[in-house]
Amino acid sequence: MLGLRALVGIGVLVTSQGARALSKKTSCPLLGGSITPHLECPRRLLSMAQPIKYLGQEEAQRIDEELFTEYQFSVDQLMELAGLSCATAIVRTYPLDSLVKRKPSVLVVCGPGNNGGDGLVCARHLKLFGYEPSIIYPKRPNKPLFQNLVVQCEKMDIPFLSEMPSEAEVIDEAYNLVVDAIFGFSFQGAVREPFSSILATLRKITVPIASVDIPSGWDVEKGSPDGLQPDLLISLTAPKKAATHFRGRYHFLGGRFVPAALEKKYQLNLPPYPGTDCVLQLT
Amino acid sequence: MNQGSADPEPESKEPLRYLSKLEAAAIETELLTDYRFGRQQLVETWGHACAVAVAKAFPLSSLSKKQPTVLVVCGPEQNGAIGLVCARHLHIFDFTVQCEKMDIPFLSYLPTEVQLINDAYNLVIDAILGPETDLSPEKEPYGSILLTLKQVKIPMASVDIPSGWDVEEASADGIRPEVLISLTAPKKCTVAFTGRHFLAGRFLPYDIQKKYELNLPQYFGTDCLTQL
Repeated sequence: MLGLRALVGIGVLVTSQGARALSKKTSCPLLGGSITPHLECPRRLLSMAQPIKYLGQEEAQRIDEELFTEYQFSVDQLMELAGLSCATAIVRTYPLDSLVKRKPSVLVVCGPGNNGGDGLVCARHLKLFGYEPSIIYPKRPNKPLFQNLVVQCEKMDIPFLSEMPSEAEVIDEAYNLVVDAIFGFSFQGAVREPFSSILATLRKITVPIASVDIPSGWDVEKGSPDGLQPDLLISLTAPKKAATHFRGRYHFLGGRFVPAALEKKYQLNLPPYPGTDCVLQLT
Repeated sequence: MNQGSADPEPESKEPLRYLSKLEAAAIETELLTDYRFGRQQLVETWGHACAVAVAKAFPLSSLSKKQPTVLVVCGPEQNGAIGLVCARHLHIFDFTVQCEKMDIPFLSYLPTEVQLINDAYNLVIDAILGPETDLSPEKEPYGSILLTLKQVKIPMASVDIPSGWDVEEASADGIRPEVLISLTAPKKCTVAFTGRHFLAGRFLPYDIQKKYELNLPQYFGTDCLTQL
């Protein structure tokens, strides 16, 4: 029986690209030098040795940039996976049978950028998972990506509210939880209307908040002591430094699309996701 | 259970619908135009679900070879694109995959030695031809690739329909995969499929399901696929 190594040696099985990649896979910094193909992929061992990395804002932006330029991912590809992760984490944390209100209602607040896009995808998947999302999307970029996501939601009978309820009590009364998809890791500087009022209202609600990637309004690296205090945080790709200030009960990692080379380059030390799950519970 | 209290689709007692080639094409067109899904979005969703199905049907712990190797054979059209996405996700799931980008080797030709395939890989993913392809069994190199695959002894999983099959009629002498991952809804040719049959495509809006009377089975929890 011919082993893989033998086939590579024969030069029949793989192209030269392949041979390079194969040897990349079988050399392990932990174990030193080249090892036989009989050993397990060392990636799991490697990630358990070091703690997970918390990204600074610039680093997060560079990784994003690299995913779109060097790795040629499209925004909608990754946004779909990110939104799915968010919805999955929400289902794990607040399963349908745990919701207290008569209807499994969820309010999804979407901001003006990609974080908002993640929220739109998340809302669509929540609907498929049996929840009843309603969306608030006050500032919509004039780009097909976002316009299409809106149509997809509308066609799934997901209502878009014309404005955010200004009373925290109204939200507490009507919804089981709120998904905060307002600002992400690119957020900087002052919060403009209508989002400052929206955030002020969200700071007063008592139902749980699930934040997508960064609790909106927080400094991406330093956090915010009197900002939003979400119950659930879903960090995408890798957690940002702000997550070290997160005091909520549940922290998930999502966005399971990071190529091994990128993970190694930035030393993300991501722990292994269980099986084929698209989310990993960190706390 | 994934059914919410206001879910419009009642418990389906009607039989599952198997699509004709025209219906399959019409549904896809509607998703892209009326529902404004992006093609890349759909391909990503399907490819991801295929990878989950493969991992479910052939768990890492069940593979017999020393390395968890998988051969993904990708055709020229959408079926092949789905195969590439599937390969990417399989790699993330810790399979050792032969395909392109992300440091995964790409085969520029398929070894015609069936023995080599049997020896080197644990399973083959057939993402060569889908229902969108105009069937032409003499079209090279896919003709000889299919011939090789027919003789392969290791398990095979096909994406959407077994490559080379007519969309509406099962092929008497075509490839016989152990696992089939139907996308969106199963096609007519798979009615009598005897292997392990998965359905992927949970993103499908209820309106389309109702319009085409798909009578899709339930998906459990947050699963993106279900077994037929």
